[in-house]
Amino acid sequence: MFAYLIRKLLLAIPLVLGVITLIFVLVELSPGDATDRFFTPETPPEVRQLIEQKWGLDQPASTRYLITMKNLMTGDFGRSIFQERPVFDIIAEALPNTIILSFATILIIQFVGVTLGSIQAVRQYSLTDNTISVTSLIFYSMPSFWLALMLQLLFALKWPVLPSSGMTDAVMYDYMTTWEKAVDHLKHLILPAGALGLASAAGIARYMRSSLLEVIRQDFVRTARAKGLSERTVVVKHAMRNALLPIITIIGLQLPFLFSGSVLVESIFAWPGMGRLIVQAIFTQDTPVIIACFFVFTLLVVIGNLIADILYSVVDPRIRYG
Amino acid sequence: MTLKLAPIALLLAGCGAETPTDATGPTGPTDGPTTSQGPGNEPLVDDLGGPRDTMVAAFQSDADMLLDLVSQSASDGYIIGNLNLGLVDSQFDCELTYEPEIAESFTWNEDQTVLTYKLRDDIKWDDGTPFSATDMAFTFDLIADPLVASPRISFIERMVEGQRPEVIDERTVAFHFTQPYDRITMQAHTSSLAFAAEHVLRDADRATLRGHEYNRNPAINGPFKLAQWVPDQKIVLEPNENFTGPDRYKPRLKRVIFKIIPEYATRLLELENGAVDWMEGILVSDADRIAAEHPEIELYRRGWRFLDYLAWNRFDTADFQEKYEDAGKDLDWSTVQEHHLFADPAVRRALTKAIDIDKLIGDLLTSESGEAYGNRAVSTITPTLCNTHNNDITPLPFDPTGARAELEALGFGDADGNGILDRDGQDFSFTMMTNSGNARRAKAAVIIQAFLKDIGVQMEIETVESNTFFERLRKKDYEAALSGWSAGLFVDMSTIWHSGQEYEFNFTSYANDEVDALIEQGLNEPDTAKANEIWKKVQAAIYEDQPYTFLYWRDDIVGVHERFNDVKVDILSPMNDLHTWWVPANEVKYDK
Repeated sequence: MFAYLIRKLLLAIPLVLGVITLIFVLVELSPGDATDRFFTPETPPEVRQLIEQKWGLDQPASTRYLITMKNLMTGDFGRSIFQERPVFDIIAEALPNTIILSFATILIIQFVGVTLGSIQAVRQYSLTDNTISVTSLIFYSMPSFWLALMLQLLFALKWPVLPSSGMTDAVMYDYMTTWEKAVDHLKHLILPAGALGLASAAGIARYMRSSLLEVIRQDFVRTARAKGLSERTVVVKHAMRNALLPIITIIGLQLPFLFSGSVLVESIFAWPGMGRLIVQAIFTQDTPVIIACFFVFTLLVVIGNLIADILYSVVDPRIRYG
Repeated sequence: MTLKLAPIALLLAGCGAETPTDATGPTGPTDGPTTSQGPGNEPLVDDLGGPRDTMVAAFQSDADMLLDLVSQSASDGYIIGNLNLGLVDSQFDCELTYEPEIAESFTWNEDQTVLTYKLRDDIKWDDGTPFSATDMAFTFDLIADPLVASPRISFIERMVEGQRPEVIDERTVAFHFTQPYDRITMQAHTSSLAFAAEHVLRDADRATLRGHEYNRNPAINGPFKLAQWVPDQKIVLEPNENFTGPDRYKPRLKRVIFKIIPEYATRLLELENGAVDWMEGILVSDADRIAAEHPEIELYRRGWRFLDYLAWNRFDTADFQEKYEDAGKDLDWSTVQEHHLFADPAVRRALTKAIDIDKLIGDLLTSESGEAYGNRAVSTITPTLCNTHNNDITPLPFDPTGARAELEALGFGDADGNGILDRDGQDFSFTMMTNSGNARRAKAAVIIQAFLKDIGVQMEIETVESNTFFERLRKKDYEAALSGWSAGLFVDMSTIWHSGQEYEFNFTSYANDEVDALIEQGLNEPDTAKANEIWKKVQAAIYEDQPYTFLYWRDDIVGVHERFNDVKVDILSPMNDLHTWWVPANEVKYDK
């Protein structure tokens, strides 16, 4: 197992390098640079030149690429041109927020997807099954940003029960008790995590349904029923554990979509995470931040897949990596 | 308090098209919601029994840098303006005027080359250090230092080196100018920024000043203090208990929270559900609904701040690019091949006549109830600068028949019968570039395209990403462009209209010797009334040449919850004199 993980990690190196190179080329191909924002019509050309020199933008792209790569290899993300702060600090502020949102989203995906899929499988071809199928399809087809806006409209304006932006209440948070603060955090998580997760949950429900249906027909389930176990025990304890196997793999693979979806959803819900940071960095052409963000995202995806592999072996003891 | 003033700033739509970039711009007579409300006799905080309530303002983006001499964003400006007192208090009534603030008085010498300020003796930084002339001299020294690369460097261009300013004593400074210039502009250059605390930044590395801790935790001398800053979430201001200035500056609000919400739709939704009390940049299409459904939200107009225009590039794009690549800024414009269509002012005038600009205003900037948020433009000087704006310019009429006839008189006809005018076998066809992410301009482009088609002119629309758009404008890599400016409140027409090579914002390569001479004359004229007459001539000459088809000035709509009194939303700021805003005791929403 350990050797397998090391091998996977080593294989990730060219992947990360490839992604960074691609992003660097794309940023280079776009006109202008982060220093444009420093200039007004009155800015003398010599000031422009000085600022460009300061950020090394007067160097050829190849030199800057090599410097960027060298810095990344040594864990130095450089300084943001836009914020003039170490990129590491900026990412350290945003990354935990994205991880919190991603974690909540995965919970929603898992809970909603697995529950609905299981209900559908147990009640195959019933009205419930068909209703959930159609509803799932609708949610599955919805772009996350649109769903986000609709959720805001419904639950923050028409029926104002949930906050529509930020991580905490902007006014009252500082005056809350610890318990109230925890509830406040949770309330702020529901809409963005829902917007990010519901579409994926709908997909998972489809997978779960077919996976559980397949398992339910197998001999060991029949045996369990023959032993006189309750239907609930048969489904939850025996069938579901096996049916979950492919689902875990899918969730690992969903991480990249989760991150890309967060780019829009975090902006809509003013969630100060990596997605919003990337949007800002791209608009301001803040190359060091863009590259560092993609570096971190790529690493997260690699790690997410590794975790899926590990979970796979935990859930199914027959699987061994060597 | 300080107001950041820039002569003119490019309005880059897309990332911030609907949001002001600076505390500058035009205002004007409006038939809609009123503009400024403060009666000038606001109750003092002691009359109210202390500060109360919290105001939540929605910001599109977080602040970046709170050291004013390197700051640039609108968010920075709003925060800095409340943390510091200004040297003078800027007012606007047709033109900028100045009242004493940190300066208890200011005087010009007889030949108008020296501006002397006498400072109050009761202003202190929050650590108790007195504010002094040394801080002012230090600030200008930083601005002048190329290592700092301050965007305010143009402020010192017309000041005498070594005397910018001259420190006479700890409470007296004198700014020496190289020759008499326009007084309003020069005074703005000395006063429209928050000064840096010398005793804090004395030993700071100047090359990395933008990364200095001061930007996150600045020394302050104004009515508010920075109580909390959660990056990308909120900035909280509270009354500065160490404020030593006059009582009239002491805030009446207990807290002001600037909540960072990047999305327009979310900001608007929170204004509607009451989570937010203040929001700028409300779209015309939303104004009627907000007014009808939310009587608790007052809508204010700032005035004519934003200009949209069509730029006609005088040069052949390919030839200019090729020659510019070789010669750079030394390029002799007379060697560049002119554009086959737009080099001729008569063609440009005909094109303007073919576009029904009033219809554009009606379609794009008028609400369903008939409220007009657009005003026809004839120059880059906003009508708000009513002493400078040339009201005598008669806009070219919408006359498609006349326009076509004028083009035919210039040799255009439809020889090949394809419905498109042509001359010498070449169709009257061109590409107009505009930027993505701006729905208003996208619609305007299509309407303009239809008008031009009616007279036999074929216009293709090219929509490009904002950064690309800006870069191509600067490199003059376009044929025609639909773009915009955010106007300023002091006048310097050189940046856009002077033909000198250093003016890279002269996107159309406009060159008119008479205009160049007038601009230099205007800049060097110390008498504002005389300068205004010169600027009017410049506007008339430019309008005659039509290097732009000037479209419209656009108003900015700001929504504020009705419980706030003495709200000042005006041309200088959508949140002016925040320290005077207050809430009656029986309407307080947040009692903590």
